[in-house]
Amino acid sequence: MSDPYAVVDGTAMAVFETYIKTTPERLWEAITDPEMRAKYSFGVEVRSDWTPGSSYESSVPGVVDIAAGENVEVDPPSRLVQTFTALWSDDVKAVGESRVTWEIEPVGSSCRLTVTHDHLPAGAHGEVYGGWPMILAGLKTLLETGENLDTPGSLMYADATGWER
Amino acid sequence: MDDVDEVFKALADPTRRRLLDELFARDGQTLTELEEGLPMTRFGVMKHLRILEEAGLITTRRAGRKKLHFLNAVPIRLIHDRWVSKYAEPWAAGLSGLKRHLESEEDEDE
Repeated sequence: MSDPYAVVDGTAMAVFETYIKTTPERLWEAITDPEMRAKYSFGVEVRSDWTPGSSYESSVPGVVDIAAGENVEVDPPSRLVQTFTALWSDDVKAVGESRVTWEIEPVGSSCRLTVTHDHLPAGAHGEVYGGWPMILAGLKTLLETGENLDTPGSLMYADATGWER
Repeated sequence: MDDVDEVFKALADPTRRRLLDELFARDGQTLTELEEGLPMTRFGVMKHLRILEEAGLITTRRAGRKKLHFLNAVPIRLIHDRWVSKYAEPWAAGLSGLKRHLESEEDEDE
């Protein structure tokens, strides 16, 4: 991957969007519930109490740390702003802290989910934000069909978490 | 919203695939930047961008007076999950295993 990000005001950003046939409440739950989250995030849970200013971490304890940060804005079921530090390799750790904004907007009987990953340094390692299409596609598939993705890589840590496929 | 048809239609045009490649190489370009590399009128590029946006393959954001175009790969990933992985990946996995095997033999020869 080359540099698939836009540089706006000196920092890089990427934007991802998908329409999901579900309610804002159910979509919010799928983003914040550890077990649901694991089903479309490589088998990795995210843990937090989801209050404004609280911390979150996403990891398989003893196996791999994926990311950590702070929940800057928590406004269920429409808006979540988080700081984001990727932790799964030295390359991505070097990128440092960026920002991820989740926005949920009802559209007819569906929701538009937009994930904006910004405050990235120009030249940031593509892996830091390159996983979003896979994660959001998996989230849509989970909510619309109830099925989990089983494509290679989508559940790479599921066995380590003991999570049932 | 089942818009797989729209995604396939949007991808079935060489100019639109080229626009996606341009955004893959450098995301967040303006219309003026995108039309520079294409032998086409501004109106023609706008028409293709609109089809890509309707299919969800690009999103746009305002930054000051500029309108920036962003590649949105989520619909492509959905097609991959539904249509590509099932048919292609058992082969791809076998071939990459063969490649590793052959390359490791080469290393031993050196």
